[in-house]
Amino acid sequence: MMDSAMDRMTRLAVSAALVLAAGAGSFLVARGGVKPYSPAAPGYRALGPADAKVTIVEFSDFECPACRVAEPPMRGILKLFDGKVRLVFKHFPLERMHHHARAAAIASECAGRQGRFWEFHHDLYDHQSEWPSEKFEERMAAYAKNAKLDEAAWKACRADPAVDAAVSADVKDGENAWVGSTPTFFINGKRFVGAMQLSERGTPWIEKELKK
Amino acid sequence: MSVKISPSAGLAARVIVGAVLVYAGATKAAGPAEEFAIVIGSYDLLPRDMVLTAATFLPWVEILVGWSLILGLRLKVAAAAAGSLFAAFLFALLTVKAKGIELPNCGCFGDGVHLTLTQGLVFDSALAALCWLAWKSAPAPLSLDSWTEGGYTGRDHGKR
Repeated sequence: MMDSAMDRMTRLAVSAALVLAAGAGSFLVARGGVKPYSPAAPGYRALGPADAKVTIVEFSDFECPACRVAEPPMRGILKLFDGKVRLVFKHFPLERMHHHARAAAIASECAGRQGRFWEFHHDLYDHQSEWPSEKFEERMAAYAKNAKLDEAAWKACRADPAVDAAVSADVKDGENAWVGSTPTFFINGKRFVGAMQLSERGTPWIEKELKK
Repeated sequence: MSVKISPSAGLAARVIVGAVLVYAGATKAAGPAEEFAIVIGSYDLLPRDMVLTAATFLPWVEILVGWSLILGLRLKVAAAAAGSLFAAFLFALLTVKAKGIELPNCGCFGDGVHLTLTQGLVFDSALAALCWLAWKSAPAPLSLDSWTEGGYTGRDHGKR
């Protein structure tokens, strides 16, 4: 009989293999299929040379305090590696928590379509405590003025469903890349979540990538 | 006085605890370790350079301990390991409560289910109690242990 032929050690090895296989199976079921993710964004949402050896893709939410905290280290990285890295900004508004985040993303996107994305971006982060409130429209208009936007075109753009769809496409990319919180950075594909991971591990990683 | 646990109660306990561990581990292992590292880091218990390593391996420990419980492989060891995990989780939650740290998410089930601090304490305590039931139920029928030993032979099964 086969059972009697199998000694105790063999059965133990088979049992251990069964547990490992079940573990791997549950992981694969939870992970699901690999979904397509595009790190691309329109040129106005990118900084640095297109042929840079290092590309940082940032998924961020203008209303997220952790994203504001990550701004100084990110600006420091861009200064430190000036001309060697490229930053690509992707919208990832966390709408369940941040009720003005999508509208701010759309407003910035429309500033971008007039070539003034980064001016608007900086104003949104630098004044994050001011605009997520009932003064939202008033503050947005002030930032649009600071960025010297064509106000009529900017307002028309904000009502354009295609702009909302562009933000949604970024969100979809983020979800497909398993972005669960903001800010999430992909530096040449390697993930860093939050300001601390960016500051502590991002810079050595960039140096390593530049040496390749 | 020794407490006797019926085999069916022991089986139920180990399947419940095992299923919770497998679900919790798989949802975290499937996502990026860097995300889970943020949650572990917010507990402020581990040295910062150990956080990412813990975030990578802890979900796999949960998965393997969970399946060992469900399938009944080295049941006493698996139940003790699961009990230790829940004791560690309880300690972490109590530390957070004592320090007054606001957790964005307890990290119990990755991004799936978010428990409050109190819910986490109650949940982990209940599961720790079930681990004790599972531990007391060993040796158990319907387990890989019983198959490894050549069939379940009652409470003295596996004793030499």
